Amino acid sequence: MAPTLAAFCVGFIWPFLHGLYLSFCQFTTVNNAKWIGVGNYAKALADTSFIDSFKFTVAFVIVATLIINVTAFAIALALTKEMKGTNIFRTVFFMPNLIGGIVLGYIWQTLFNAVLMKMGQPLLALNTTAGYWGLIILLCWQQIGYMMIIYVAGLQNVPPDLMEAASIDGANNWQTLLKVKLPMVMPSITICLFLTITNAFKLFDQNLSLTAGDPAHTTEMMALNIYYTFYARAGAAWKGIGQAKAVIFFILVVIIGLTQLRATRSKEVQQ
Amino acid sequence: MASVTLKNIKKIYPNAQKKKRKGEPEKKSNLKITAEGVVAVEDFNLEIADKEFIVLVGPSGCGKSTTLRMVAGLEEISDGELLIDGVKVNDVAPKDRDIAMVFQSYALYPHMTVYDNMAFSLKMRKLPKDEIDKKVREAAEILDITQYLDRKPKALSGGQRQRVAIGRAIVRNPKVFLMDEPLSNLDAKLRNQMRAEIIKLRQRIDTTFIYVTHDQTEAMTLGDRIVIMRDGVVQQIGTPQEVFDHPANKFVAGFIGMPQMNFYDAELVKEDGKYAVVLEGAKVVLSEDKQANLAKNDVKSQSITLGVRPEHIQLKGDASQMIHGTVDVSEMMGSTIHLHVNACGQDSIVIVPMNDIHEEGIDVSIGAQVSFTFRGKNVNIFDRETEKNLEF
Repeated sequence: MAPTLAAFCVGFIWPFLHGLYLSFCQFTTVNNAKWIGVGNYAKALADTSFIDSFKFTVAFVIVATLIINVTAFAIALALTKEMKGTNIFRTVFFMPNLIGGIVLGYIWQTLFNAVLMKMGQPLLALNTTAGYWGLIILLCWQQIGYMMIIYVAGLQNVPPDLMEAASIDGANNWQTLLKVKLPMVMPSITICLFLTITNAFKLFDQNLSLTAGDPAHTTEMMALNIYYTFYARAGAAWKGIGQAKAVIFFILVVIIGLTQLRATRSKEVQQ
Repeated sequence: MASVTLKNIKKIYPNAQKKKRKGEPEKKSNLKITAEGVVAVEDFNLEIADKEFIVLVGPSGCGKSTTLRMVAGLEEISDGELLIDGVKVNDVAPKDRDIAMVFQSYALYPHMTVYDNMAFSLKMRKLPKDEIDKKVREAAEILDITQYLDRKPKALSGGQRQRVAIGRAIVRNPKVFLMDEPLSNLDAKLRNQMRAEIIKLRQRIDTTFIYVTHDQTEAMTLGDRIVIMRDGVVQQIGTPQEVFDHPANKFVAGFIGMPQMNFYDAELVKEDGKYAVVLEGAKVVLSEDKQANLAKNDVKSQSITLGVRPEHIQLKGDASQMIHGTVDVSEMMGSTIHLHVNACGQDSIVIVPMNDIHEEGIDVSIGAQVSFTFRGKNVNIFDRETEKNLEF
């Protein structure tokens, strides 16, 4: 217990609190910091690029979460039916998740650019719409398999007796899905929604390697915006502002994650 | 309310793997395996009359649940015809067969209240709300669960869940009521109580029942007729009294009745047109009706398996008809004692009323010598090879 707690304090609590402190400072290094109050926060919130990245991120999260979860659930449904080769499909669908985000971004960038070129469209670096949908396709491709595994586990836990009872009670396939299966897999839905929402919100590597925010920061998500604020701008003031943005970002993710957990948890049932 | 007819019903699982997944251990059963696959139910023929209570009974893996599931439509019928009210329903979906089923696990929807569980099938059938309400409350009244209508299943005890499961089935007034081992998850006391309730329920709702159990007591007490199955094959169909008094083969004789029937290797002899059984030098002449049955089948003198129920063994009788043994175990049951007697090189169970022991001063302590015999009208004679009752 004690060593874990010590490690947790050294590795998480202390850096977190120090980071919080730094968001109220003007600093160049951790030790060279000067307290300036809430000025960083005011500047962060006044930064239109930050607000734009927030809007872009929200639009991305909503669409990606919906597509990922609906598709993953549909595939899980198909793969829990008794049919040949389900294990192979499960493995294949899961594999994209094993490839790192940066690598994925570059591979997909090549692919998308090739397709865009064929279509006679501007390449990713000059094409906001393609960047937005490219990010969504990339994340879907990466995450659907993982979420599918969670949904498969949830669906397999639904007692077959319940399905049979529903079929005798007169429910058709659609009604059985909505009234029996879905409520029974609510725990899986909770965890999948939580993972997809928070992962999509915090997306960084894929964003950096696929579009790098181009063109003109229009496909820049919040994490990338913070990164650019912190590292890519000249002047001592920007580090503190980046730090303040990171704290705001953290609070946002916590609020959204907890709200979602609370909302779906309440729909869960115990057998 | 309907008649149900099963004509040459068969269930074949195409490969062994699928069979295993159903949770029936393959080692235990001796199911026939043909080129088509594992035969789980073989040539099942039964006419169930309107409002009859039929019990399918047998050891696990005998095909009783599979048969019930075929009637329910949850399992495809490999061959044969299933008729409900004279209409062939082999390819009719479960929901359109107008049946209701109570599952062993109850299969209540955990996310719905008791009320919604019971109302579910009526909602699916789009009945008006007030009618649903009326039916659910009526059923709840019958089953005495009105006070639990707002609860979720997890807040109920096993017995209460069982009632809800039955309630869910009766709200619909189904033509046929199917029950798959409904009492086996309950403890012994509750099981006896629920058994009595099912008998009462049956009088109230008066419909056709098909009930599956592995418990011979449930089968005997509930059924108008019992179907005894083994390894997918029907062994005997008859009223409880018939199968108890005239078991068709050694398996039925051993399965029905508690404690189990005693079996001995004995000889059947025919002298001067009269049949008698000879066991360890004791010779017992058979009763008139048994003589007639054996004569009708032209049974010859032969080695047989002799079956005598523990309650038909008596400790007094003609000295020439006595079999001698030693008491191994003596189980006090209150009004009777179950003696395990080592005789004829095997264990025989003998039920002795306490009154006899007191009145006649019989020594039943462990190691005591006892002699017993049986009457000619109480023996069952089975072919030693085929195990069939030779009277049939």
